[in-house]
Amino acid sequence: MSALVLISVLGVAVLYLGIFGRKVILAPVAIIGLLAAIALLASGWHIHHPLLEGMLRFDRLATGFGIGMAAITVLVFLFGPDYYARKEWHVAEQYALMLFSLVGGLLMASYTNLLMLFLGYEVLSIPLYVLAGGKKRSLRSSEASLKYFLLGSFATAFMLMGIALLYSLTGSFDTGKLAAYMAAHAAPNMMLNFGLLFVVLGLAFKAGIVPFHFWKPDVYQGAPTLVTTFMATVVLMAAIAGFYRFIDATGMPHALATVLALLVLATLLVGNVIALRQTNFKRLMAYSSISHSGFLLLALLTDTGFAEGHGAAVGGTLLYYTFTYSLATTGLFILFTIAKRANQGAEHNGIFKGLWHAQPWLALCALALLLSLAGIPLTAGFIAKYQVFLLAIGAGWLKVMLFGVLMALLGIYYYIMVARELFAPAEQPVTFAVAPLNWAVVTLCTLAVLALGVWPHLPGL
Amino acid sequence: MENVITAIRVVPLGHYFFLCFLLFAIGMAGALLRRNILIVIMCLELMLNSVNLLLVALSAFLGDTGGQVFVFFIMLVAAAEVTVGLAILVQLKRNTDGVDINQLNRLKW
Repeated sequence: MSALVLISVLGVAVLYLGIFGRKVILAPVAIIGLLAAIALLASGWHIHHPLLEGMLRFDRLATGFGIGMAAITVLVFLFGPDYYARKEWHVAEQYALMLFSLVGGLLMASYTNLLMLFLGYEVLSIPLYVLAGGKKRSLRSSEASLKYFLLGSFATAFMLMGIALLYSLTGSFDTGKLAAYMAAHAAPNMMLNFGLLFVVLGLAFKAGIVPFHFWKPDVYQGAPTLVTTFMATVVLMAAIAGFYRFIDATGMPHALATVLALLVLATLLVGNVIALRQTNFKRLMAYSSISHSGFLLLALLTDTGFAEGHGAAVGGTLLYYTFTYSLATTGLFILFTIAKRANQGAEHNGIFKGLWHAQPWLALCALALLLSLAGIPLTAGFIAKYQVFLLAIGAGWLKVMLFGVLMALLGIYYYIMVARELFAPAEQPVTFAVAPLNWAVVTLCTLAVLALGVWPHLPGL
Repeated sequence: MENVITAIRVVPLGHYFFLCFLLFAIGMAGALLRRNILIVIMCLELMLNSVNLLLVALSAFLGDTGGQVFVFFIMLVAAAEVTVGLAILVQLKRNTDGVDINQLNRLKW
């Protein structure tokens, strides 16, 4: 709770710093504030008491997701000074909006009341609509922003309708009351199923599950790279955390579990197959993110209708998966920005050519991060996928799991295609200018991904 | 307040459900089919307001004030959302000219 207040006040403070023209100290202030918020969250690690009349509960998992999201935001902000150094935009607003969005993410990770789910969802989304349109003169950026806004509002309306339908049954927005109602009424119920389906639809939109994924490639490509990084990492973590809390609280009825299984199949197929054809690196990362959402949804699926205690294992896996995915993605987007600058703003996969000859260490980092996304052993991505498959076998979704393995193997191909470019010689000599801070963040991401891959129990979850 | 609740309860709950679903469907159809972005935004507002109406009716029938409070939050958030949406639309208008949704075709596949 104190972390929520701290981050909100921090956002306002950053705005004031922007008014007074202190562009240089924006990122340091935001980062120090976020580190303080992480410390506050960590100090309340074992406090489970409900807040705001039982609307929020920072239990172990919510705290874990909160710390994870704040930590990734710190990494994104470390990338900030270099990224914004040559842009004439209003930088303070960018930092402040990301902080406000993070507050929404924290709410989504800790709600026990559907009102807080809705507020968290919107507080997360509205700053993102603005951030996606950050490049004022760019048509692509405006287009991405408007598409995201229209589709996002559409999904919000569905989620609200779902919440209203659930309210009509239980007379309360509390997820505990909803769970009690579902336990008492086991018979199939049209209203209940539609209510749950609509809420899930809203959450699936934010996580980019097929068929609600259409915004993802467009918005990833159109938005400024720093914002894309934030969206691919923190927002995915928040969406998955919110999704998990909803499913864990309600426990899906069988009919909905079938729908979710179909969504998993569709997401894995579309994400991986369309990614094979992508030449723009940002779109490739978007489809890669869709395919990862599919694996995450597979893990969520195993939490439906199971006994106590199983949910914690699913939650831990989701946290591990999203956090390691976020680390790898952050590192790759920073490398992408470095390569994009070296190639006069081109965004195709070929911009990585010559990285090995110019910057061998960064090329090795990029290789490790790509392999982690692909799920090769000794990286964190492998452990994450392995745990998801174990959960799926344990819950009896064997066929879906086998399809997932097949798609994971298919997915390796397009990561290798990018990795091949790293070691190819450039057609004409390119110079990669690397700021020391960016070098440090990429190195940190790589080492963290490798360390978490070798010692998966390092964070003590 | 009691008068209002009694007045709301005069109409059976099923009628409210029907009206709200109808409004929601009209909003959805408009958001999917109309080409003018302003109209699309209006249709989205219509969807949100159909939910508001449903929540108020349910709140009166269930005797729970939570639903009415929720409506205030929805109105607040909808206002914030449409503010941002219109600002984005103005920015788009400056970069192209016009508010036709078919112009949004730079980003594909």
